[in-house]
Amino acid sequence: MAFFSTEGLSISFGGLKALADVSIDVQRNSISAIIGPNGAGKTTLFNCISGIYRAQQGRIIFKDKEIHRLPPHKIAALGIARTYQNVELFAHMTTMDNLMLGRHLFLKTGLLSGATLFHSRSRSARDEIANRDRVEQIIDFLELQAARNEFVSNLPFGTQKKVELGRALALEPELLLLDEPCAGMNVEEKQDLMIWLKDIQEEFGITCLLIEHDMSLVMEISERITVLNYGRKIAEGTPDQIQNDPQVLEAYLGGDDRAEN
Amino acid sequence: MLWQIVIGGIAVGSAYALIALAMVIIYKTSEVLNFAQGDMACLSTYVTFMLLHGYGFPFWVSLPLTLLFAFVLGACCEFLFLRRAKDPTVLGLIIMTLSLEMILFGLLSWKWGSDQRELPFPITSYDTFTIGSFYVSRLEVLTFVVALVMMALLFLFFRYTKTGIAIKATQLNRDSARLMGIRTNRILMGTWGLSSVVGAVAALLIAPASTLDPYMMWDPLLKGFSSAVLGGMTSLPGAAAGGYIVGIVENLFGTYVSIEFKSAVAFAIIVLILCIKPSGLLARHYVKKV
Amino acid sequence: MKKMLLWTIVMALVIAVCAAGAVTAADAPGVSDTEIRIGQWAALTGPAAAWGAVARGAEAYFKMINDEGGIHGRMIKHLVFDDQYNPARTVAGIKELVEGPGVFAFVAGDCTACALAARDYLVEKKIIWMALGNAWSIKPDRHFFFIYPNYLDEAAILVKYAVETMGKKKIAFFYQNDDYGKGGLKGAQQQLEKYKLKLAAEVPVEPQDRDLKSHTMAIKNADPDVVILWVNPTSAVIMRKTAAAMKFAPLWMAPSTLADPALMNQITGGLWEGTIFSCLAELPDADIPLMKKYRAAFEKYVPKGERWGIMYMAGFGFAEPLVEALKKVGRDVTTDKVIAELDKMTDFKGIFGHITFRPEDRQGQKEVFIAEALKDGKSKRLSDWIKADR
Ligand SMILES: Nc1ncnc2c1ncn2[C@@H]1O[C@H](COP(=O)(O)OP(=O)(O)OP(=O)(O)O)[C@@H](O)[C@H]1O
Ligand SMILES: [Mg+2]
Repeated sequence: MAFFSTEGLSISFGGLKALADVSIDVQRNSISAIIGPNGAGKTTLFNCISGIYRAQQGRIIFKDKEIHRLPPHKIAALGIARTYQNVELFAHMTTMDNLMLGRHLFLKTGLLSGATLFHSRSRSARDEIANRDRVEQIIDFLELQAARNEFVSNLPFGTQKKVELGRALALEPELLLLDEPCAGMNVEEKQDLMIWLKDIQEEFGITCLLIEHDMSLVMEISERITVLNYGRKIAEGTPDQIQNDPQVLEAYLGGDDRAEN
Repeated sequence: MLWQIVIGGIAVGSAYALIALAMVIIYKTSEVLNFAQGDMACLSTYVTFMLLHGYGFPFWVSLPLTLLFAFVLGACCEFLFLRRAKDPTVLGLIIMTLSLEMILFGLLSWKWGSDQRELPFPITSYDTFTIGSFYVSRLEVLTFVVALVMMALLFLFFRYTKTGIAIKATQLNRDSARLMGIRTNRILMGTWGLSSVVGAVAALLIAPASTLDPYMMWDPLLKGFSSAVLGGMTSLPGAAAGGYIVGIVENLFGTYVSIEFKSAVAFAIIVLILCIKPSGLLARHYVKKV
Repeated sequence: MKKMLLWTIVMALVIAVCAAGAVTAADAPGVSDTEIRIGQWAALTGPAAAWGAVARGAEAYFKMINDEGGIHGRMIKHLVFDDQYNPARTVAGIKELVEGPGVFAFVAGDCTACALAARDYLVEKKIIWMALGNAWSIKPDRHFFFIYPNYLDEAAILVKYAVETMGKKKIAFFYQNDDYGKGGLKGAQQQLEKYKLKLAAEVPVEPQDRDLKSHTMAIKNADPDVVILWVNPTSAVIMRKTAAAMKFAPLWMAPSTLADPALMNQITGGLWEGTIFSCLAELPDADIPLMKKYRAAFEKYVPKGERWGIMYMAGFGFAEPLVEALKKVGRDVTTDKVIAELDKMTDFKGIFGHITFRPEDRQGQKEVFIAEALKDGKSKRLSDWIKADR
């Protein structure tokens, strides 16, 4: 049994079939990618997995458990975190606050900032300090120190994407869904991201499933690739297999580069 | 004279501020203008009345029971009523709260009739002392202090508690909040409960200075709403400040300009603010993402 | 041939009987050999449900009359319906009664808007109406009899008492900003003109206003000896509480709409004591035989838990003149005869003041008396009935 899989997932909006019978398998501790032209249904697939949308048909299985009927907060608690294509942060909060919200499920006591308000050895203080430490590690890891106390809405887009990644990591997920993590990043940032993704996989043992238009990054980093077009899976395999798949080439109209989308 | 009016304005403004806060708490999370706020608060006050009068409980028992009732009432209104709407429009939501208002009002008049009653309150509104040459009633002082305490509690709650921060997160981005493991449905219910408690506190402070009857909260609700609009509908400090401003301006207007049109001041404020600065006086500039 | 004649006679008889029946129906709708049907609309539910007490009062009164043997062998059937203070429902309900079982007369009926809506239909159907409200707000008709004195007269009497009996000159007037309040204001102004005086302050209030600090300040600054409260109970309570907080203690006066000392005492938390008010009807605790009889009827026919007060008494009072006229008319009841009898009524004294109707003047009561609110919701009568002379 796969670590994570979908079986025959379908959803349509009005007459439009955004997903049609999509089945994918993801192995534990791997990096897999989903690619496909605009409007292929990639983000919709993520929305179904994270519980924002409810698939009309099909099943989603995570660690041998059916999750397609669960609400988003339960799916998050089971260990699936995600980032968004367009960044969905808590705009009027600082980077720190955003990451601390990622720790929501781990906070045991109702009081936050207990450490500053109360006796530092109190239970709430210890609980909070432990969680803050975790967040600090993530800040260090993603080199977000400069942005720590900034309102996220004032940060450049690339940094916001990092904050969002950090927030997802704060949930300590087992499966991380990344929707176009490179979009809007410069070359240098992309290089960093590639290294971080490798670290996330290898050091934290987190399974990654990413949607990405940057083919060079996808081909370099992922072990398996699934290709969607018009809501259907048209191919899957290793980067080599995909690069030589005639159907994929046709879908991309002879390699029309959409990396900038 | 001027200062007497200002003091009076601040006192009544405290009550408006509480109602405005109650409305804003709901508006921020649910994006609903809750026109049933007044009647929800009124119902809670009748519960106090019933506990004190009907069951003979002492005030210090009735008060927490009332606040508990107010919380449950608010939560139920959200759960049984607003949640049932599937993808409602703004207009649809307004119609829903208006009909909730009518249901509650009907319930009030059916259960207690339209007779005015006296809410037995530990402090009477005419128990006064003087500061210099000004009269200040103990109830006014109590209202003022309670409002400040409520504001401080709300501030601490939203700033320093797990639930408070979860509410803020839900207000800012509901889907993201759900992905953080926050049960946003519960949060919505909770904010309605919280808002209902704040409203009930306001009504409990308003009732002793007037009479307890089903219409009790109509006028204060209008004033509270105009305070909230003045504060931009989404800002808690804005709503609080709005309450004091409405209270003071209204009383000054009534004294120095026209007593006949005093009640119209609140309307005028709503219209003016919506025309000139819909984001409110204190609102930070921010454009909502679509 | 004989058969023909027989048929003709039968036919003639049938027609005669039908015609006779039709004539009776038109002359006295709602009257049969055994009963007289009297209708009433009232808000039994909804925002003005307190008015239901008027209907239950009338109900108790009619039951009392029936238990005494009815009127010349006929029982009174009281048909009440709930209009929820909604004019559309009032009209629909009246039609249902009039065109269904038939109704001889209506008594009371709340809500000025409802009454206005009902008016034209009642005129059209020529139905007697012992109307609540007064000829000042509802256009009179041959079939309508108004009992309450109009607001102008009542305010004038209050001012007269303040000036002539109590020797006060500085009077402030606090009034509801509508026809009711402005009527009172006009009456007070007219009466003061007779003494070459003017009101010290005229302060209007919107009935729903809950914060009356600036109103109270405006009155207080005029420094009056007397403040007349021409407002609804809620505004009166707020004004009294606010004034008490400002240590402002003039002599307070109030019209009959606030003449329920027990209620006012309770909802002002005792502040009502000392208020001078005018009364349209005997005090609820008056020590007179009629009041005792009515109280006994109230206790007998009205479910427990209700409070004997002016609303119930009004139910009795509105029905009294009609019952009186029906008794005088005798067994042969028609609308015209009852109207003629009512128009002869001179100084009829029931639970209200003296009532006199004339074809050209259907404002029955023109007098009030003055009372003072005492501790614990009790009251003391200060004057005899006083007529207006503005
Ligand atoms: N909530 C919705 N209501 C209606 N249509 C939707 C909704 N969500 C997605 N769609 C439609 O489903 C199709 C797939 O959209 P989706 O966002 O999944 O594409 P995508 O593969 O992520 O594209 P891109 O590369 O541009 O992000 C699109 O045609 C989109 O318009
Ligand atoms: Mg997408």
